[in-house]
Amino acid sequence: MNAEWRRAALGLIVTLMASATIGDAQIPPPPPSSIGGCSNEVASFHTCALQKARTFTPPRTQSGKPNLQGYWRSLLTQPFSIEGVKGDEPLVGDLVMPWEVAPGMIVDPPDGRIPYQPWAAAVGRRGVNFEKFIDPRTACGPGGVPRLALQDVNQIIQPTGDGHVVWLFEDHHINRVIAMDGGPAPGPDIKLRVGHSRGRWDGNTLVVDVTNLNGFTWFDDSGNFYTDTAHLVERLTLIDADTIHYEVTVEDPRTYTRPWKLVWALVREKTPGFELLEEACWEGERDLPLIREQGFQYYFGEPWQGR
Amino acid sequence: MRYALTGAALLTALLFSACRGAEQGPPQGAVPRTPDGKPDLQGIWQAMTTAAHDIQDHHARLGVPPGQGVVDGNTIPYQPWALEKTRQNFATRATADPEAKGYMPGVPRIMYMAFPFQVFQTPEHVTLVFEYAGANRILYTNGTPHPRGPITWWLGDSRGRWESDTLVVDVVHFTDQTWFDRAGNFHSDVLHLVERYTLVGPDHLQYEVTVEDPKVFTRPWKMSLPLYRRKEANVRLLEYVPSFLMQQDEVERERQTP
Repeated sequence: MNAEWRRAALGLIVTLMASATIGDAQIPPPPPSSIGGCSNEVASFHTCALQKARTFTPPRTQSGKPNLQGYWRSLLTQPFSIEGVKGDEPLVGDLVMPWEVAPGMIVDPPDGRIPYQPWAAAVGRRGVNFEKFIDPRTACGPGGVPRLALQDVNQIIQPTGDGHVVWLFEDHHINRVIAMDGGPAPGPDIKLRVGHSRGRWDGNTLVVDVTNLNGFTWFDDSGNFYTDTAHLVERLTLIDADTIHYEVTVEDPRTYTRPWKLVWALVREKTPGFELLEEACWEGERDLPLIREQGFQYYFGEPWQGR
Repeated sequence: MRYALTGAALLTALLFSACRGAEQGPPQGAVPRTPDGKPDLQGIWQAMTTAAHDIQDHHARLGVPPGQGVVDGNTIPYQPWALEKTRQNFATRATADPEAKGYMPGVPRIMYMAFPFQVFQTPEHVTLVFEYAGANRILYTNGTPHPRGPITWWLGDSRGRWESDTLVVDVVHFTDQTWFDRAGNFHSDVLHLVERYTLVGPDHLQYEVTVEDPKVFTRPWKMSLPLYRRKEANVRLLEYVPSFLMQQDEVERERQTP
């Protein structure tokens, strides 16, 4: 399966969907020059945001926890590749599937590249995954962690009693229930598309451990990936009333040579009366048979199963 | 004489208040409460009924446990054309049932399927997160009205309010593509539900729903059933996502038929 076929197939899909949702959801406006008083360049945003978090006193919930509740949109992100898109990328300026030149979101390692092992580099980074498989999100699957928080609007709820944090995503009506009760994760044979999330407060930061992942989700449109042995640690910190510094450390010794880290900003959606809407995907889905006719396969982690 | 009269009046008053107390369910404090004094509905709940197969009385069928229905009086007041449609639905249910297509099952069906769901509560909303399809419903309790229609949503738009200790939720903006059960009971897009959630004990949540749909029924009708708290020490919502499982199944079947 070559890129031409993929583009033809995807072009067909975009035409068939005859809807602005893909375009609206995927092509972000350029970020403002300042985000929460920090630069819009990801590495300096990261340093600056952590600095600000030291002195900012966040609003509190009734029970005294940092109050992260509300509607959030990601900034400093793009859907194409978490490693960024350079000008010589063939899909830049493509008529059917136009990618845009855009920076990546990896702050560690400093070169902004995923520290793949050689076999894995050939699978991710527009490799085997991109060439042969249907983007799990296109198949109405969840964006997964952390892709969900990278795209589209979401809502954080801190229910009464502090037993959980609930993170709802408009994208394909996905939810994440983050258990704050200190209980154990389910056994290792239980694998979930968005994993199992256990959270705790580290000062003013919500720290979330994500385990029990099935590895059937990607980071981005390029097919960058982890496997079912991945362990993610997310950190959410308010740096002012309307900005969250979001950071996720990715660990999967089977796939990478070292742990690595992504960062972006979540900025409060303040439109009065704003609410999440129901987004159905599988209901009435008609494109997948056409995509499969082009030779693309459903992604159940085949490139790494049995490794 | 005067004292006797007063005594009788007092007795009457006491009896009256006792009766009222019975009507209003258990006394305050018998159920968990949130800091703002509302019943705390949070936890993992699940129905234990055969309503997901058939909301009315039914014999056993192969793979279908027998059951007494959850419909008040057992009769659903269909218009004649609609009753005929339920027969067609039943005959073609293996493929026509939206559940068989892996679609979101609609409300109230999702409330009594054989999967747990978890309730989260704040003063502004009560959020229901379902293991089935990873679906969620936000029941707004912040006084906001339904958005202006027409809107067709699989799980509708839910606006709630507390009436004493009962959460009363008005649900509209539905699609006509969902059913009530696997037996072909159905509704149209003008479906209007009024749900009543009452914590009748720490581990029992009574669910009652009034169904109104002038396109399909001759009058409103009602279903009720208890929801039970899941008590396993390690209970967590996991994932049952029909679309994903159907894709896996499709691939597996293709692999077996070269």
